[in-house]
Amino acid sequence: MLSRVAESLFWMSRYFERAESTARFLDVNFNLMLDLNSITSVDHPNYWKPLIMVMSNLENFDAHYQEYNVQTVTDYLVFNRQNSSSILSSISMARENARSIIESISSEMWEQVNNLYHFLQSVSPQQVHTDPYSFYKEIKNASHLFQGITDNTFSRNEGWDFVQIGKYLERADNAARLVDVKYHMLMPKRGQHLDLVKDSVDIIQWMAVLKSCSALEAFRKVYLSKIDPDNILRFLILDRTFPRSITFSICAAQEALWRISGSSLHRYVNNVDRLIGKTDAELSYTTVEDIYHKGVHEFLEEIEQGLIRIGEQLHLLYFAYHTPKIEPLDVSEALPFTGVAGGRANWSQSQQQQQ
Amino acid sequence: MTRLFDHYDALPDRFFDEVISRDGTPRVHYEKMMRRFIQLSPEDIRARRELVNIFFRNQGITFTVYGVDEGIERIFPFDLIPRIIPLPEWETIERGLIQRITALNEFLSDIYQGQKILKDKIIPPELVLGSKHFRREFVGVRPPLGVYIHVTGSDLIRDDAGRYLVLEDNLRTPSGVSYMLQNRQAMKKAFPVLFDQYKVRPVDSYPQQLLKTLQEISPSPKPDPKVVVLTPGIYNSAYFEHSYLAQQMGVQLTEGRDLVVNNNKVYTRTTRGLQRVDVIYRRVDDDFIDPLVFRPDSKLGVAGLINAYRKGNVALANAIGTGVADDKVIYSFVPDIIRYYLNEDPILDNVETWLASNPKHLKHILENLDKLVVKAANESGGYGMLVGPESTAAEREKFAEKIVANPRNYIAQPTISLSRHPSFFNDNEIAACHIDLRPYVLYGKTPSIVPGGLTRVALKRGSLVVNSSQGGGSKDTWVIDI
Repeated sequence: MLSRVAESLFWMSRYFERAESTARFLDVNFNLMLDLNSITSVDHPNYWKPLIMVMSNLENFDAHYQEYNVQTVTDYLVFNRQNSSSILSSISMARENARSIIESISSEMWEQVNNLYHFLQSVSPQQVHTDPYSFYKEIKNASHLFQGITDNTFSRNEGWDFVQIGKYLERADNAARLVDVKYHMLMPKRGQHLDLVKDSVDIIQWMAVLKSCSALEAFRKVYLSKIDPDNILRFLILDRTFPRSITFSICAAQEALWRISGSSLHRYVNNVDRLIGKTDAELSYTTVEDIYHKGVHEFLEEIEQGLIRIGEQLHLLYFAYHTPKIEPLDVSEALPFTGVAGGRANWSQSQQQQQ
Repeated sequence: MTRLFDHYDALPDRFFDEVISRDGTPRVHYEKMMRRFIQLSPEDIRARRELVNIFFRNQGITFTVYGVDEGIERIFPFDLIPRIIPLPEWETIERGLIQRITALNEFLSDIYQGQKILKDKIIPPELVLGSKHFRREFVGVRPPLGVYIHVTGSDLIRDDAGRYLVLEDNLRTPSGVSYMLQNRQAMKKAFPVLFDQYKVRPVDSYPQQLLKTLQEISPSPKPDPKVVVLTPGIYNSAYFEHSYLAQQMGVQLTEGRDLVVNNNKVYTRTTRGLQRVDVIYRRVDDDFIDPLVFRPDSKLGVAGLINAYRKGNVALANAIGTGVADDKVIYSFVPDIIRYYLNEDPILDNVETWLASNPKHLKHILENLDKLVVKAANESGGYGMLVGPESTAAEREKFAEKIVANPRNYIAQPTISLSRHPSFFNDNEIAACHIDLRPYVLYGKTPSIVPGGLTRVALKRGSLVVNSSQGGGSKDTWVIDI
């Protein structure tokens, strides 16, 4: 497969997943705001600002808007083209990538990307404000439809594997960011279990975190109604069966990478496989107590940094237009930490292509 | 209630009308079509147009208008009324084009190896050797099978008597064939009943025939040579066509950056290393194809490609340097070229052409500037053109100076009245619009043509310009057994 085609498949899928995640976060936050309105007065900046921290960065937002509220944040995350991870930007990029490999994907895949793009072009901010539920549902369904169409019309070869890698690396990254930010906001005391009556606001918020990963029902099946932070971290970070958890996403990306390279358990043949294996092992042999011990933020930050390095090595190995130089990485080469709020830029296609 | 054709403005005295004959009655092969369209209400027409628009939009068959924040994508206008050509008429076109392409290929082969035609003084050597598209780098290089022009798209028009004339030979990288294929698909969806009433010759085998042609010119004896399409990329206005043809042939679509030349062999860069390429259907112009030989600032090409080609390690379609034969000055010699190499009279005529470089012609041109269309020899897309009947005296005077200063660069032709064909202006109004015809000739071991082509139509009232950038559209073109 042409390196360029592999790269476009990866980014097409990745941007689609990004649009879906953004839609999920906005949808849940909107509902949360309605729930909380009846219990307590909603402090808008505190409810909307974290979304910007998860999905974009604060500086860029501040350059365009005065305050954090439902209108400005929605506008920024859905329509703003200056925001490279807005839904509109993501779908435009997914479509540009698809367009450049239109002969390599199935025509149904192309039609689906194209349909969503034209749908977004036809929607006004006013429509989103009056009926956010339908709008976000449309985006989520469009993304599911796209991945479903891909599963059912696209040959299971290397190309399909790059689609999976794009989807799951993005999903793992988004899950890590979401948990990181929400944990920071709702930080309970270590080991404390929430009281259903006293902490109802916190419980509603944690439920919202689960909902934004479509995880509430799946969570209940495992932990019944014990909505406490330990179980939620365990589920969203470490669960091996739920398809939006970090561990599941890393495993799925790893399997696709193995199919491409021929690596297997305990035996890696390139740096991407080595790095993702390392992350997988870290997650596989970690308990929620270990996570507390390290610090939730520090643990998730390490995962995010690991994902960035996996992305870089993937680029060098399969996409770069020069012979890949495979050099061992050591700690000193790790990227400087820019924090959740500033980290997003590491994940855009143009930056990687400039390398 | 008025019916669709009641106010149709055929002017058979001034123009050849494809549908209505001189006595005002419909031509036999159009009768069924007219009956079908008359049955349709404006709502029916609108519904079918919507169907077709959605088909084109979903296929991504759009071209982009730049300069705005978000490039605006437009659908290439498609007219619902098909152009119909009876088989006997088509067979003449087919024979005429094959004769012409065969002779032009002989000409190219001669120009780059031997130059007999110049020595025999059929064409003044300075006109050939001085042409902007003559590539002296290729003198003495023989391409596989001796074929230079593997894909051509000649533009044909019909004069007021209905005679088919060749207006231009497009021998470099002619585009539009994807519209021929997609128009047919759209038409089958929108008018299945009408389609069924005619025996329309299929065009769908074009991609297979193109692939066969490309495989035939492979320099490698491999039974399954590797063919790729080379595109300038996603921002080229014909990008859709490049990707569509690659997809239909089942070959890789590559950009310059996907290819690398090592030791005079061409490879694709893949996720599993380098893979050898045998044939490149290139849709990048000569000037941009190799920065080491032609324009050094080109980022669309492949460094070293030309040396690999000269070594015979890769085939290019079309060959390098074919533009010398579609130069507008050389065009005027095509009838002589046919006679010289084939010893036959041309089946399809040229449009009458005067060369400013010929003193006698020059005098005629200068005396009749108000009646002629003057064109620069090496420009395309309507640049450097004077349309006599529409010009002012001052414009003509200025243009005359330019012609006298550089006569090699100018030719003149009479203002031709292209034939006309009913086309929709809106859902319930049709008008007579000017059309041309571009059939596509493939040439590997032998030349062949799929029965059909792209009919371009000038959808602006009275306009003679059929280019898509100037409000032109297209029609499906049916070659039918009667």
